[in-house]
Amino acid sequence: MARNASPARLVIALSVAAVLAVFLLYTSIAGGGNPSVSPSELAGRTGAVQLAGVVVGPVTGDAHAGGLRFKLRDIAAKSTTAVAVRYSGSIPDLFKVGRHIVVNGQLERGTFVAQPNSLITKCPSKYAPKKSTSSA
Amino acid sequence: MPELGRAALLVTLGLSLYALVAGAYAAYHGRRRLARSAQNALVASFVSTAVAALVLLSALLRNDFSFAYVARTTSVALPTPYTISAFWGGQEGSLLLWLLILTGFGAAAVSLNRRWARDLIVWVVPVFAAVATFFSFLVVAVASPFVTQPAPPDGAGMTPSLQNPYMLAHPPLLYLGYVGLTVPFAFAMGALLSGRLDERWLIATRRWTLFAWAALGVGQLLGSHWAYVEVGWGGYYAWDPVENAALMPWLAATAFLHSVMIQEKRGMLKIWNVLLVILAFSLALFGTFLTRSGVVNSIHSFTESSIGPWFLGFIALTVAVSLVVVLRRVPLLRSPTKLESPISREAAFLYNNLLLLALCLAILWGVVYPMLSEAVRGESVVLGRSYYDFFLRAFGLPLLLLMGIGPLIAWRRASLRSLATTFRWPTIVALATGALLLWRGAGSSVPGLVAYTFSAFVITTIVMEFARGTRARKALGATSWFGAFTSLIGRNRRRYGGYVVHAAVVLFAIGVAGSSAFDSVAEAKLVRGESMHIGNYTLVYRSLSEHAGANATEIRATLGVRRGDHDLGTLQAGKNAYTIEQQVSNEVGIRSDKLTGEDLFVIAEQIDPNGTVYFRVFVKPLVNLIWLAGLVFLLGSVITLWPDRREQRRLVARASAVGLPATR
Repeated sequence: MARNASPARLVIALSVAAVLAVFLLYTSIAGGGNPSVSPSELAGRTGAVQLAGVVVGPVTGDAHAGGLRFKLRDIAAKSTTAVAVRYSGSIPDLFKVGRHIVVNGQLERGTFVAQPNSLITKCPSKYAPKKSTSSA
Repeated sequence: MPELGRAALLVTLGLSLYALVAGAYAAYHGRRRLARSAQNALVASFVSTAVAALVLLSALLRNDFSFAYVARTTSVALPTPYTISAFWGGQEGSLLLWLLILTGFGAAAVSLNRRWARDLIVWVVPVFAAVATFFSFLVVAVASPFVTQPAPPDGAGMTPSLQNPYMLAHPPLLYLGYVGLTVPFAFAMGALLSGRLDERWLIATRRWTLFAWAALGVGQLLGSHWAYVEVGWGGYYAWDPVENAALMPWLAATAFLHSVMIQEKRGMLKIWNVLLVILAFSLALFGTFLTRSGVVNSIHSFTESSIGPWFLGFIALTVAVSLVVVLRRVPLLRSPTKLESPISREAAFLYNNLLLLALCLAILWGVVYPMLSEAVRGESVVLGRSYYDFFLRAFGLPLLLLMGIGPLIAWRRASLRSLATTFRWPTIVALATGALLLWRGAGSSVPGLVAYTFSAFVITTIVMEFARGTRARKALGATSWFGAFTSLIGRNRRRYGGYVVHAAVVLFAIGVAGSSAFDSVAEAKLVRGESMHIGNYTLVYRSLSEHAGANATEIRATLGVRRGDHDLGTLQAGKNAYTIEQQVSNEVGIRSDKLTGEDLFVIAEQIDPNGTVYFRVFVKPLVNLIWLAGLVFLLGSVITLWPDRREQRRLVARASAVGLPATR
């Protein structure tokens, strides 16, 4: 707001630049996060992704011994593809067949192997009416 | 009854629309009586909204399941306090609460200030009315809480994790905060539209902003504590979009509360302040939108609903209109003074603002990134915890240090020599603390060590400030040290209340650093009689019990806890199985050490039919300082908020001494 150049202005400009630099530094090192995909988009992907879908039974196995096994299908219900998932670690209270969940991991020989303790459930729809089933 | 509710909301919509149109016309053409009538309409809209709220409340209390909202959010077995909390448990009810608080705040803020700031108020009214029109339109046409249906025998009940005392206070506090930010926004807009850009809008809204900010802060901490004791995953903040939704406006408001002092003292940063107010309000709207629209994948995702596009449209409109108004007033907003030196209190406040804003925008970027990447690359990319943690350290740690420097550095221009004198002791104490902690093994986490060192620096400066002030008052003739201390705070509530809030932030930083950088975890599957170790704790799984509670079956594992050779008694962890809601919830066991602030946190993750339990145990050092910080924060906020007639008179006198017309 000062119209004449002053050392203070320079300092402000420098600090803004420093903030931007930190930002760029981060994005170049960490390279952003995981892509979020649905089960039908999973085929052929090799890297780590975040998988969001609906739990399809039966749920078998032990999450603390050998892994919990279940399947996930698309929330949008357009496709019927279901991906087998193996998960170990803590299971949120709300986990059960029919729930929307999000889990991180990667596809290994046809099974989605989840990172331990990465499973998140979304709040049940009972809390509010279900008007549309798709969410971005 | 539902007809009465619907009618009342329709009246609210009509009144706010009238206040908007008539108010804007009256302000533009200088019609005093019409302006007065628009003000009255705004006050009346609060009354009609209150009627609608009472209708909903009584329907909830009567278990009237012919209201679709009541049937969806409650059940006969639900205890009464939670039946009341169902008011804000669902979307329609929470929008009605928004509207109720909004019209209430609007009516109060306008009535309190209409005497001495009449020329401002005529423009403030239509701004309030515009926001009220939007929300009343939503509850009338898009998400009505008064939809009826043939009454089912029982309601669907409430999600178990919400059946918790915290949920009685956490959501309403957040709403008070979100809505409270409307007040500075409306007054800033009023000042811009009327062209009366003196300090009166700041004086009129200072307490409102502080109140909204304090409510948001306390509300978030309550939410964190709830997550910690009730959700039971062992943490208190997950950088979830909905949590960030409340943090972002809080950060923007924090920046505003600081930069406003620069405008008051030095007449600088006027454009910046107006922009911060607009940002804070837009983020409050955006926060409500995130919470209520379900566009982002969140653990909260309460709803996937139809109000999303409306909200997005209103936010875009708010931002666009506000920026146009600011641009038109830029010539009036030029400051008479400018920054003289990069080493001065003004500059320190500016750095504080830049850092707060950088943190706020980095979080915003993380929240919208999945949507942006979806739009640009056709693939939604989610930024994880490490992204946020990185920026919290990169921007939060310098902020912590600045909190010690800012309040002590001289206005205008500080010499390096004076800095050396002022900060000699804080620096020595900080370095000594750092060295001591390093020697005790805190070097395992560098950010944690840095946070502790900076905290020691800030605490020393705060203690020195209080000591210096108290000594000065004693010298001025206070009878006792205690009297000197209290009169010090009483005579300058803003300053010393501010220091108390700073102390709270330091406690918070220590708590966060301790519990996230120096925590430990262990897990094991135990058969009755077996034990596990974590740190110097030993836990023995003793027994498993089951009993029927009011609306849930409670299963509990009992553990004997020892630390070294000390027997610390028993701890219970287990699960509740809720019958109506058909859900299970973790009930964690927490043992807090009152002396060290350390928690032993036990989750019974999996309980097998044969009685074997899989336990997950955390030791979280200093975590209780976070909750203590909440209390200190509240204390500091109350000190700064406490009515101070002397100060108010002085400010009003100063505003009118500059030759501003008190009336039009």
